[in-house]
Amino acid sequence: MSSLRIEDACKYFGGLKAVDGINMTVPAGRITGLIGPNGAGKSTVVNMISGVYSLTRGEVYLDEQQLTRLHVDEVARCGIARTFQNIRLLPEESVLDNVVIGYFRKQRSGVMSSLMGLPAALAETRRLREQAWELLGRFGIQKYADYEAGSLPYGHQRRVEMARSIAAAPRIVMLDEPVAGMNEVESAEMAEIFEDLARSGMGLLLIEHNVAFVSRLCSQVYVLDSGRMIAEGPPEAVTRDPKVIEAYIGGKADAA
Amino acid sequence: MMSFYYSYQPLIDFFLIAVGLGYSQQLALRAGVFSIATAGFSALGAYATAILVTRYGVPVPAAILVSAVVGMAVSYVLSVPLARLRGAFQAIATLAFVQVVIALLLYFESFTGGAIGISGIPRVMNTGWLLLAVLVTIYVIWSINRTSVGRVFNALRQDDSVAASLGVPIKSYYALAFVLSGLIGAVFGALRSLYVFNIEPVDFGFHAMVASLTVVVLGGRNTLLGPIAGALIMAILPELARPLAENRGILNGVILILVITFLPNGVGDELVYWLRRRLRRAPKTMSKRKEGADVVAAD
Amino acid sequence: MLLQQILNGTVSGAIYALFALGFTLIFGVQKLLNLAHGAIFMAGAFIAYYATAQGLPFWFALLLATIATGAISVVVDFVAFRQLRKSGHAEFAAIVTSIGVDLILMNIAQQVSNTKVLSFPFGTFPVKFFSFWGMRISLLQLTILGLVLVLVLALAYYINRTSFGRQVRAVSSNEHASALLGISAAAVYRQTFFIAGALAGLAGVLIGLSFNSIHFMMGEPFLLQAFVVVVIGGLGSLQGAVVAAILIGIVQSLTIAYLSSELSTAIIFALLFVTLLFFPNGLFGRAGNYAGGSRR
Repeated sequence: MSSLRIEDACKYFGGLKAVDGINMTVPAGRITGLIGPNGAGKSTVVNMISGVYSLTRGEVYLDEQQLTRLHVDEVARCGIARTFQNIRLLPEESVLDNVVIGYFRKQRSGVMSSLMGLPAALAETRRLREQAWELLGRFGIQKYADYEAGSLPYGHQRRVEMARSIAAAPRIVMLDEPVAGMNEVESAEMAEIFEDLARSGMGLLLIEHNVAFVSRLCSQVYVLDSGRMIAEGPPEAVTRDPKVIEAYIGGKADAA
Repeated sequence: MMSFYYSYQPLIDFFLIAVGLGYSQQLALRAGVFSIATAGFSALGAYATAILVTRYGVPVPAAILVSAVVGMAVSYVLSVPLARLRGAFQAIATLAFVQVVIALLLYFESFTGGAIGISGIPRVMNTGWLLLAVLVTIYVIWSINRTSVGRVFNALRQDDSVAASLGVPIKSYYALAFVLSGLIGAVFGALRSLYVFNIEPVDFGFHAMVASLTVVVLGGRNTLLGPIAGALIMAILPELARPLAENRGILNGVILILVITFLPNGVGDELVYWLRRRLRRAPKTMSKRKEGADVVAAD
Repeated sequence: MLLQQILNGTVSGAIYALFALGFTLIFGVQKLLNLAHGAIFMAGAFIAYYATAQGLPFWFALLLATIATGAISVVVDFVAFRQLRKSGHAEFAAIVTSIGVDLILMNIAQQVSNTKVLSFPFGTFPVKFFSFWGMRISLLQLTILGLVLVLVLALAYYINRTSFGRQVRAVSSNEHASALLGISAAAVYRQTFFIAGALAGLAGVLIGLSFNSIHFMMGEPFLLQAFVVVVIGGLGSLQGAVVAAILIGIVQSLTIAYLSSELSTAIIFALLFVTLLFFPNGLFGRAGNYAGGSRR
């Protein structure tokens, strides 16, 4: 089983220790949670793994391959996908095309065949559009396929972004607050999709505020506070940990 | 029809050249490269062909080929520093490139004819050849729009960090867009020199830069129709404004301001977007949707 | 000879600085490139020329041109930029609308002057030379240096020490937040455009007088020059613009004296390119102009 590991990872911004010496493993076929109050450094971790930030210290591995110094696109090509906390779709493209671009990594036809409009390239586009259409169905947003992505309500935009991130069947996907702004029913729908993905062998990292949601789904939960990992383990144990309760109650009230 | 053609032939030919240069300008912009280097590429293409044909007796097709290679090579080299820059800085860097090209054309007088330029270039271009060149360009861009490269270009323009996060090697694709822009610019520069008898550095200065930018702004930055619509307006406008004679500059200025303020996407793009919205209202079964989608992709 | 060239270069550089300061001020506040700035510069020279032709004293013509170009610049903001600021995504659009304004102003000037090259009548400014250390400096050059020095210091004081300066900086960093603080962005824009236009118009008069040549297209090379100045100095940086302008003035006068004027243009723009290559934000520029895709 492949897995994503980060070892002794630090990120300092000047004197600010945004992330300070954390260790974490995201195994394939499982759902792992990363929780913590606002400003704990959760999104910084995602950006360190995906190549947006350089690490002040520490390493990132996918199995035995070192990712620490790879650029964003190289990390993505290794099979690590992500969503963004503040949803980033291509606002002028249709919902369908936003998902089609997600297949970039899996494309086989080359640049020349694209420039010359060769049948192979056109056929690939048709095939990807059909696959993207199926995927939209899975996320329950097929009827918006032709809408401009920027015009969709917030919750639907999240779904589009998630569909895009898993389109190319990554080995690991990091979902940054995937159910923020969704109601119970919608969250349950998403949970079902996540469990399906894990069963298919994908490794998921859920970055969340919502402790209840994470507890229900995850086999392993990491708790980050002020850049340090204050607890890790199965959700039942972690949520009873006094340090975690302290971080949440003592920190932000909105965390529960 | 034929008499219309004969009385407006030069207008039609210059329209076709403007469309070609417009596509060169558009390709860079639609991929998010804020380049105004097209005038520089067309200067390189025009001079390469003119020098090879008039001084060394190189056959015309070979000369055009050399121009194309020069355009691609120079734009590739330029793309490296350009990839480190953003927005307005890219515009200024490419503007500097055009100024360097023109200054060098003026300086190497023995080779380029200095300010007088090169004359006696055989006039071998005609409407047919120019039309063919435009059609080939349109085919390539149409192909781009319907396949992977077009999707990547659109993504780069809207959010290149997202493109990178999906595995797109963004510097390579920025370079690709810029090289294609250089190729098309140089080829249409070469064709232009084979049409106008003589070329001089001022043909490629600030005004040329403004002209190709104007075509794309008026027409549209993203759709295949854009440069055609823009070049058409720029071709017809002086004819309509003929009674205004000396005030044409004012009219051009006013139209630029009005169009970008009230139709910020350009006339051609707005038209295509309007058509898209119409198509979206059609019933959405899978087959209908795909038809619509193909039309959308085809612009 | 060398020192003389450096002195001449410093004087031209001082005038470029006046032009570039306005350009970079507008960029600093609005993040927009104003391509009509060259036409405003030209308008300054035109207004001063026609005012003196009407028999007005030169100092009055200079003042008139400065105020009038400031006003024209405010009108340019109103016509070309105001609407775009409301819609957002103005970076590209502003280049186009300001080209539009540029075309309009140049067309008007072309007709007013019948496409002729104009020059101030002999003796508009007293012709007098001083010699020291084997160099010659004219009264005009001396006046220009003094005037530019005073204006640059005044502007620096205005921006760094007054409440207007604080408002400018607030609006340029966050228009929305500064509105909440009760700062009127529209008023700040009006003032920056007025100052920028007035400086450009003044530079136009001084250039028209130094080179004794006024033409409807005279702004174009200065606009291109301003790009070089502000990029090397860092877009939006006022000190950078002054240093870079004088540097460019000296490089230009040396290359013209010892090489050729065409090569001088090539060298200056090549300098710009090399600067961008190693300092993507210019020598004095602020950070933020990084390319996507690489770790930071």
